[in-house]
Amino acid sequence: MKKLFKEFLKGIFRENPTFALALGLCPTLAVSTSIVNGFGMGVAATFVILGSNIIVSAIRNFIPSKIRIPCFIVIIATFVTIVELVMKAYFPLLSKALGIFVPLIVVNCIVMARAEAFASKHTVVKSIFDGLGMGAGFTLALVLISGIREAFGNGTLLGLVIVRNFEPALLFILAPGALLVIGILIGIVNLLSQRR
Amino acid sequence: MNNLTVSPAPHIKSGLTTQRIMWIVILALLPAGLAGVYIFGIRSLKVIFISIISCILSEAIFLKFRQRDTRIILDGSAILTGLILAYNLPPEVPFWIPVVGGAVSIIIGKQLFGGLGHNIFNPALVGRAFLQISWPVYMTTWKNPRWVLDAVSSATPLAKEKAVNFSYMDLFLGNHGGCIGEVCILMLLIGALILIFTNIISFHIPASFIGTVVVLTWIFGGDGFFKGDFVFHLLAGGLVLGAFFMATDYVTCPLTNKGKLIFGIGCGILTSLIRLKGSYPEGVSYAILFMNAMVPLIDRYTKTRIYGISKT
Amino acid sequence: MEYNQLLVIAISVIFINNFILSKFLGLCPFIGVSKSTRPALYMGLSVTFVMTASSIITWGIYSFLLKPFHIEYLRTLSFILVIASFVQLIEMFIQKFSPALYKIFGIYLALITTNCAVFGVAVLNSEMFLKVQDSFVKSFIFCLTQGFCAGVGFTIVLLFMSGIRERLEFCDIPRPMKDMPIAFIVASLMSMAFMGFSGFRF
Repeated sequence: MKKLFKEFLKGIFRENPTFALALGLCPTLAVSTSIVNGFGMGVAATFVILGSNIIVSAIRNFIPSKIRIPCFIVIIATFVTIVELVMKAYFPLLSKALGIFVPLIVVNCIVMARAEAFASKHTVVKSIFDGLGMGAGFTLALVLISGIREAFGNGTLLGLVIVRNFEPALLFILAPGALLVIGILIGIVNLLSQRR
Repeated sequence: MNNLTVSPAPHIKSGLTTQRIMWIVILALLPAGLAGVYIFGIRSLKVIFISIISCILSEAIFLKFRQRDTRIILDGSAILTGLILAYNLPPEVPFWIPVVGGAVSIIIGKQLFGGLGHNIFNPALVGRAFLQISWPVYMTTWKNPRWVLDAVSSATPLAKEKAVNFSYMDLFLGNHGGCIGEVCILMLLIGALILIFTNIISFHIPASFIGTVVVLTWIFGGDGFFKGDFVFHLLAGGLVLGAFFMATDYVTCPLTNKGKLIFGIGCGILTSLIRLKGSYPEGVSYAILFMNAMVPLIDRYTKTRIYGISKT
Repeated sequence: MEYNQLLVIAISVIFINNFILSKFLGLCPFIGVSKSTRPALYMGLSVTFVMTASSIITWGIYSFLLKPFHIEYLRTLSFILVIASFVQLIEMFIQKFSPALYKIFGIYLALITTNCAVFGVAVLNSEMFLKVQDSFVKSFIFCLTQGFCAGVGFTIVLLFMSGIRERLEFCDIPRPMKDMPIAFIVASLMSMAFMGFSGFRF
């Protein structure tokens, strides 16, 4: 049990997909304009990672290694399609806000990387925990970045005004702000890990 | 042995130290600033001072944080950045705008790259673009010269919606709304002459920059070809300030004369494009920033070949 | 006729909605392959080629398969499969017929099999041009233009970036900011410069 928990934790800290491995940055930057969007994206991606991890690890012994990548792609694309349809049906606003980045989960490197590097070599249970951990790490990073961007760029957190008379800097919810925030955040992470 | 100091590039071997160049440029910029203060009132002087102090403090704090010699701030480059940033601000901005702008210019525009000589983009323009994108309202609220009765918010000559007619003389002397340091062309030209006669800048960039803008606005600026009011485009907005004082920054412009010409022409094309077609009234700072990003490529393809070494 | 519209698409996708700087597509190669100019150029060319080609292919799939049979929900699945196998095919083809070319471009082609910029342009095309009821020819030209110009925009930014990063090698950048963080800061500043183009009217 302790071991499984470790698989879960490593995705959040030591191998955090965004800050440590710099995977899946495209959606991270594009949809992190508000916490709601960021969280929605994180949950959607978590579902896909979890689903593909389960299926891939379950049939890992039947997939010929030569065509494993196409197989992974089909599996991942199936789950992405599920997410797309579900989101369109039940969360139309979120689906509109995330736009083309929902189908783009299919090319999110995190999903593929976990399928290839972890799920195809480990058991189903382990892969579940790995998927959950990676998903949680990704979601956390998204919420962090979108929180910073929402606070500075819109003056709000989760839609609530935090400081009155604060003049939000529009830049942060636009494209340059996203790149600036991720650059500085990775810099801070480096600073902390180099100090230690 | 006290004058053996180790300082970052640009190292120039002509009796002109980095420090002295910085101070001459500051001196050359002063007339235009004085004119701006005279035109818009004492408040603009405060904006200039706050901007400079913010730049110096940001640099000092960052150098302290990196455990570097904080005496580097005395080389004048932070003061110059603050001065140029303030010249690009409208006189009526709230006082926190130059504070934020100065910090962004120095930290993001310069120190994160390693300080003077290492920055890719002109720091003052980084600050200005940051402010322009973040708080567009403050950055486009203009003020008339203080002797005009209707003192609050008037459009700059370049704002397309309100086509106010200004005489060329008004434009030349700065008798209209605009940023603090860009309005008085006469004083800017005096400063530019100082820079050219002291050999601090060469004519390549300003000439090709301004020339391109004149030609393009003449051809495309009016209804039909060759009917544009190019004198207006020359005198209005920040073209003169940008071409002589911002595009020519040693660190962020190409090394060779050929490269400088390409750089100036590129700036000119982009400025005209943004002025005539874009939604922003003024394109000088964006044009220079864009071309700054291209400088390494320009340098790469215009650098003189070293003799005796094969081209690989 | 649609000459003006084509120009708008081109300017928009190269400068205003640049794939890297404003849509954040293709960041992995942007950060990964921008350390020096030559690889960046080859990468840009490969991406432009694959983007153009996959725009055409996905146009065909969408208008002749998905739309007539009303199975648009299979878009994601079919697009990614076709693009991935197409890139593999190209790779094998080049390897077979022009080993010299393969030596240059092979590795980049392998890298962009599942590149989000390539997939993104296909999805964008289908959202923007294929869902509306246009004639086949019109939507074909639009898709082709957008695919090609998105690649051009990608290449331009990648080249700028590689030039800058070559210069950054000699810079005294604070240690934690080296490599990736400073690359993002540069990208952010470039993105600011590109914002000068927003709101172009023709």
